[in-house]
Amino acid sequence: MRWDFASVFANTDALLAGAAGTLRIFAICLVLGLSLGLVVGLGRYARNPWLYWPSSAFVEFFRNTPVLVQILWFYFALPILLPFSISPLAAASLGISLNSAAFSAEIYRGGIQSIDRGQWDGARAIGMSWAQAMRRIILPQALKRMTPALTNRAIEIFKMSTLASTVAYVELLQQGKLIASLNFNPIEAYTAVAVIFFVFLWPLVQFTYLLERRLRRDE
Amino acid sequence: MTYRWDFTPVFANWTLLAEGLLNTLKVTGTALSCGLVLGLVLALMRLSWHRLASWPAGFVIELFRTTPPLVQLFWCFFALPLLVGIEMTPFMAAAVTFSIQSAAFFAEVFRAGIQSVERGQWDGARAIGMTQAQAMRRIVLPQAVKRMIPAFMERAIELMKTTTLVATISYADLLFAANEVSQKTFRPLETYTVVALVYFAVIFLASLLARRLELRLARSGESTVH
Repeated sequence: MRWDFASVFANTDALLAGAAGTLRIFAICLVLGLSLGLVVGLGRYARNPWLYWPSSAFVEFFRNTPVLVQILWFYFALPILLPFSISPLAAASLGISLNSAAFSAEIYRGGIQSIDRGQWDGARAIGMSWAQAMRRIILPQALKRMTPALTNRAIEIFKMSTLASTVAYVELLQQGKLIASLNFNPIEAYTAVAVIFFVFLWPLVQFTYLLERRLRRDE
Repeated sequence: MTYRWDFTPVFANWTLLAEGLLNTLKVTGTALSCGLVLGLVLALMRLSWHRLASWPAGFVIELFRTTPPLVQLFWCFFALPLLVGIEMTPFMAAAVTFSIQSAAFFAEVFRAGIQSVERGQWDGARAIGMTQAQAMRRIVLPQAVKRMIPAFMERAIELMKTTTLVATISYADLLFAANEVSQKTFRPLETYTVVALVYFAVIFLASLLARRLELRLARSGESTVH
């Protein structure tokens, strides 16, 4: 078996387009997932049952179903209920963002709960409202503890972005499939895609290890 | 525009979906059992003093933890068979991918568990004349495994969700059955909703069991690793 990467390098344009697609969906899902997760996480922390129960149902549902099923549901099932169709990017982003929101909600909740009660009491004692105490005292401290878990989530989102290829969204894996079928070089094409993902993700993973170590040292 | 829901065509195909669910459980079970054994081997290699053992193990663990599962599956299904010259069924490719992938994750759990056992346990075992291997097998591992149970359960649940990827290489799991039923009945909304609910029922039940077990371990005063 002779490896021949020339046929892959000849398609650099396609891979670059794929990388751009991967980065685009990653950015969308990272922003949507982590910010919606904060809203849901605060809902899970609230005492008001009208906030607590819907956010809990959301978290349980999206954590306990496979993300691929969610994406396909948004792509094939949801448009039937809507007067317009849903693009591959929209369906995949919806699935991955809502799934990540459910997982990050639990990270935020855990982080907020880990902050000592006395911090709340102190903030209230100097006259802060609940929202002020949360924004200025609790969240900044909790965020530090949550950073490793949140960067882990970002890595998961990056990996999940490959699922968008199942609804034919143009990203790295989708382009790999295309190159493999046009040039009959699956070994080289899929190896190249795997290497590109590794190059993107390895620094992120190392960064997370570093954060975890630093946090353990600080506490 | 109000859509008229009709679940009867989906339920008429319940045997297809049931077969799919069985195949989902089959892939999950295979990958889980192979992954546990292989994960223990990888963990012991990683903890070994020999670089010839610890470096390759570290490489496999990092590689499978830092690449997307779908890329691994495609590589094993489309590239690996050409490299080694054997036919691969979708089931084989799925079993290989998810076994090694879960092994990589389990290895880190095993490692954390083994490292969490106090040094004194080793010393005690050596003092009564056990070899390194005996001490590991009889003293350290049994204590470590108990602490690892919650992390294992969590990983098993993740694995079951990840197995939906096998539908992309046409293995007839529950999601693949859903695609089929949806095309046959022209009822994607009902089909995917039913299948999402089936997944939810199975996985939610497993999560509840895991949570209960974790609580019981916590109450019996066992510390756990993640």
